[in-house]
Amino acid sequence: MARRMLALAVVLFLPALLPMGCKRTGVSHRKLIAIIVPSQDNPFFQAEAVAAAERAKALGYDVRIDSHNDDPYSQDNLIDVAIASNASALILDNAGAEASISAVRRATKAGIACFLIDREIGASNIAKAQIIADNAGGAVLLGKRFAEIMGGKGKYAELLGRESDTNAQIRTTGFHAVLDKFPALVRVSAQSANWSQSEAFQRTETILQAHGDLNGIIAGNDTMAVGAVAAVRNARMDTIKVVGFDGSPDALSAIRAGALDATILQPAVKIAGMAVEEADQFLKTGSTGVPERQLVPCELVTRQNVDEFGTFQRIKPEKARE
Amino acid sequence: MNKVAAGVPLTPHSSTASAGKSIATLLLKLRSVLALALLVVFFSSMTSSFLTANNLSILTKHVAITALLAVGTSFVILAGGIDLSVGSVAGLSGMTAGYLIVHGIVFASGDPHFLPIWLVILLSLLVGGAVGCLNGLLVTRLSIAPFIATLGTLYVGRGVALLISNGRTFPGLAGDAARHNTGFPAFGQAYLLGVPSPVWFMAIITLIAWVLAAKSPFGRHVYAVGGNERAAQLCGINVCRVKISTYAFSGACAALVGLVIASQLEAAHPATGQSFELNAIAAVVLGGTSLMGGRGSIGGSLVGAFVIGVLADGLVMLGVSEFWQMVIKGIVIILAVAVDQLQNRVQLRLAGGR
Repeated sequence: MARRMLALAVVLFLPALLPMGCKRTGVSHRKLIAIIVPSQDNPFFQAEAVAAAERAKALGYDVRIDSHNDDPYSQDNLIDVAIASNASALILDNAGAEASISAVRRATKAGIACFLIDREIGASNIAKAQIIADNAGGAVLLGKRFAEIMGGKGKYAELLGRESDTNAQIRTTGFHAVLDKFPALVRVSAQSANWSQSEAFQRTETILQAHGDLNGIIAGNDTMAVGAVAAVRNARMDTIKVVGFDGSPDALSAIRAGALDATILQPAVKIAGMAVEEADQFLKTGSTGVPERQLVPCELVTRQNVDEFGTFQRIKPEKARE
Repeated sequence: MNKVAAGVPLTPHSSTASAGKSIATLLLKLRSVLALALLVVFFSSMTSSFLTANNLSILTKHVAITALLAVGTSFVILAGGIDLSVGSVAGLSGMTAGYLIVHGIVFASGDPHFLPIWLVILLSLLVGGAVGCLNGLLVTRLSIAPFIATLGTLYVGRGVALLISNGRTFPGLAGDAARHNTGFPAFGQAYLLGVPSPVWFMAIITLIAWVLAAKSPFGRHVYAVGGNERAAQLCGINVCRVKISTYAFSGACAALVGLVIASQLEAAHPATGQSFELNAIAAVVLGGTSLMGGRGSIGGSLVGAFVIGVLADGLVMLGVSEFWQMVIKGIVIILAVAVDQLQNRVQLRLAGGR
């Protein structure tokens, strides 16, 4: 009886251990690069994580990918674990400009070279590099394109990102630096949809109820833009121009299908690769050879050039525009 | 479970079955310790850096967060309730501390007053205790089911935490020497005798909770209320007061967690603590405490917290994908409860029950 129960208990616990028996990390003598991104179920972060991992493996490093789900405390724990595993370098897309400073400082003190991608932190001279896409420049680019396709006049609505996110503010400021110069372009509604597709869908439906004569929608990211496109289609108001920001695969296919008019592609793959190469340079020579803060320009994607782009990267050289 | 609890001894330490048959029950009772030992052996053999002093210190520091929440929630669950609000309370107390350090208190007229850090900490803990009391009052005075009442305070707490800063993070909690409010980062980052401060908090709170649960009249009352509320009331136990106390203790523990995290990050982030309540409940359940109340122990919850912490950090060190980590965590929780039910049946059979 006792033996049977014990055997049963052991058998019950064993399957939990099985899926983990995939690789031994302790025996390797290669240096470890830890990659921490916000999530792995979002194509943008997935693209940057995979790009960084592939580049690092090609350069002869061990890699590990973790995600903090935009939770600074979870990020803190993952950085602790990176310290305990003697990582040489950290590629980090952080969980908040202010809330990440102490964690990055701790990692640096523990001898890990930190390379920040996609988002900055509010302190300098701690990380070895902070490489981000030029959101402000991209927003101006998108603002210009939007004004162009609107013909410089008409009513438009703006879908804003999460209010606590610096990128949401940078982008809307960039849009308005251009759009506010056109007195005939009137913003009739501005709503936050928290970067979310379903919220953007609902907000847009409500906006369309209130403003049947709307001509355009400018969204702070592609997820919201795609949500807005769905609402516009449902309402059979296809003449409304919609533009987004990020260059997500969904947005690119919506542009190909003619549902979305433009987006701004953030070169996430290029940025991740740059960070890994600079980390490699730093680990070999003790210096990255470039300044800490680096801005990488974004690119405007329209129906004319959409085929030149893949998942968060340019895959074909730029053609001469007509 | 109440019916089962009536068949077997109600208290955690008086359940010794007859000597010959007790090995099975003993092994089953120690299952969470065994599982923990298994996990440690497994991870040590897989990664050389797992069983190092440095990593164990970090690991215990991480476990402390879950353990503090689990120990707090244990009382609520032992008394037959549930507390879903602990994650929100952690976020709220961190934001309270952040607000007091960055903005101070503004009285009707004049300049803000900046409080010394010990007072900031005390006030933030009180906020947690107060939310706990509110939970208790909702459950006892308004007879709202604990699941619903604390689900409500979960949302209210998170909303208020976001309102305090309008969704922003309070940065730079290091304080300002001119305002005499420096020193907050040390609260969660300092080392005493080579041990990180959160681990000390865990040790002290667990000790207090263990004495309360196992040695004090209050503890007996908690088990009695959880085992059979009506009987406890007829015995002259003030059921309402016992319940409110358990929620207040849970709230204060959650507030402590929020303070530790804000101190470690040197920043207060309103989303801190999201889904912590699920980790806490998982730890309590892994520790063998019945969700129906009346059966379980503080020590069990501590071991449960260690199982979750070792699993989480170990899987990250192994480089197991995030998605597999979730699957594995879920399987472990289900197995733990399955074995728990097994133990019940074995005990019942050995005790000559149905």
